[in-house]
Amino acid sequence: MMTVVATALVLILFAWYLSFSAARLDRLHHRVETSWEHLDALLQRRAALALEISHQADLDPATALILTQSAYVSREESIADRNDAERSLSESLKFLRDSARNDEIQISVPLLDELSALTEKITLAISIHLEAVNSVSKLRAKMIYRLFHLAGKATLPKIYSFEEDSL
Amino acid sequence: MIDKKLRIGMVCPYGWDIPGGVQIHVRELAEHFVAEGHHVSVIAPVSDDESISDAWLVSAGRPVPIPFNGSVARVLFGPIAASRVRQWIAQGDFDVLHMHEPGIPSLSLLACWAAEGAMVGTFHASTPKLRAIASVGPLIEPMIEKLSARIAVSQMAQETLNNLYGTEAVVIPNGIDYARFSYLSAEEKRARGAKLRIGFLGRFEETRKGLPLLLEALPKIVKAIPNVELVVAGPGDQEKVLDRLDSYLLRHIRFLGRLSEEEKVDFLASLDLYVAPNTGGESFGIILAEAMASGAPVLASNIPAFVDLLAIGECGSTFESENSADLAQKAIELLRNSAHLQQLAENGRDAAIRFDWASVATQIMSVYEVAMTGQGKVAVGSENASWKKSR
Repeated sequence: MMTVVATALVLILFAWYLSFSAARLDRLHHRVETSWEHLDALLQRRAALALEISHQADLDPATALILTQSAYVSREESIADRNDAERSLSESLKFLRDSARNDEIQISVPLLDELSALTEKITLAISIHLEAVNSVSKLRAKMIYRLFHLAGKATLPKIYSFEEDSL
Repeated sequence: MIDKKLRIGMVCPYGWDIPGGVQIHVRELAEHFVAEGHHVSVIAPVSDDESISDAWLVSAGRPVPIPFNGSVARVLFGPIAASRVRQWIAQGDFDVLHMHEPGIPSLSLLACWAAEGAMVGTFHASTPKLRAIASVGPLIEPMIEKLSARIAVSQMAQETLNNLYGTEAVVIPNGIDYARFSYLSAEEKRARGAKLRIGFLGRFEETRKGLPLLLEALPKIVKAIPNVELVVAGPGDQEKVLDRLDSYLLRHIRFLGRLSEEEKVDFLASLDLYVAPNTGGESFGIILAEAMASGAPVLASNIPAFVDLLAIGECGSTFESENSADLAQKAIELLRNSAHLQQLAENGRDAAIRFDWASVATQIMSVYEVAMTGQGKVAVGSENASWKKSR
């Protein structure tokens, strides 16, 4: 009798643990999605800003070409296809900011301020997103999650190389 | 006109101290024209000014890494670079300016923007259609139009140019220093060892260079021709490749690592067959020309650039790209017929002479002459007006 009760208790506890774990993973997956949405919105704003800078500032055609092309790809393509474009934007905007600081190039102060503020926000959004992605990956690597297929059909979130660049 | 010594300005868009086909092309062309007595000045991005050993090289600053078409290009742009290029043009007193890859956002585009006069552009890459071309076309087209003459290094590069900007170009191939490549007769090759040598050269870890395909074909080739040896030259981690091979194959593969130019000449001359299993991303394929010049018969994938290059004569064979069974079958057929191999080697040797700088540079000089017709010295444009109006 005792063993039956004990087994039932263990099973119930275990079932509860499984459902708890699944809910925990689901929450983390949700966090990956929301943090990505936030980051994506900021990246879209950055692309728009890059276009604006390329129109307003007195740029050489090479810089204008990099900005325009990356900004268009960034706005039109899916994330898998725009990794290169985001990296180009990071590199070229960093280069522009440095040039503007050294007075080598004239970019209007409001645009420059917006660029600085946006860059800070993006840096933060990337670190939050990466943290969420890493927690999901770590959790999903655990035996219990793999054994009981707790992630369901959710794809493993991916880190894109532009997120590793310094802005 | 031919006898007149020119002042030639060349612009290289990619970092000078990073290995690359465009850089090698510009260097060898510059050296050739200097040897002919012309005055040449090359401006390029340089990461390390200490590395400059040629009097004709001018640094425009340190290159910036920008991801482009799947790989990172080291280019240079921005106001400082633009003013350096302008200054170089103003002081150079050039008869003709030769821009390489003017469609890439780097120095060549800046030079197109700044200069007025005789300008020639060489297009090296064949790129799939740029997705954002509709948006950036209006930025590049006025620059491309300023070029008095355009050169494409291959039919592929020419088609790219036509697709992107709707403009035509003269096709002039990349050059090699033909005299540098030596040639061994069949007997001399045999005297070096009884094995039949298949060669591969390139950064073998890059999948598009196709080594995995060749390794897939190797067991079949070894089975049919037991005394075959695959010799792989080029930088990369050989352990990663060896780990994945069956142990019986290890006797049939050898890695040479990165080769110097002299070692490359020896390597190519020692081969019974050069295999180029590239899956794409090639615009010209200078290595095929070099293999031919060394009397190595070529077996290449049937990507357009290679088909194009091999069409110059019967000096090689092609297999269906990304099909290892076809690669194995074609390699076996070739290696079993030594008389045919010998014939291909001789044909290749004869055909490759057209890639010699003596011939290639003469063609380029003719383009310069066309470009210079009716033009004075190259000058800095007045306020670069065409660019501002186009926006």
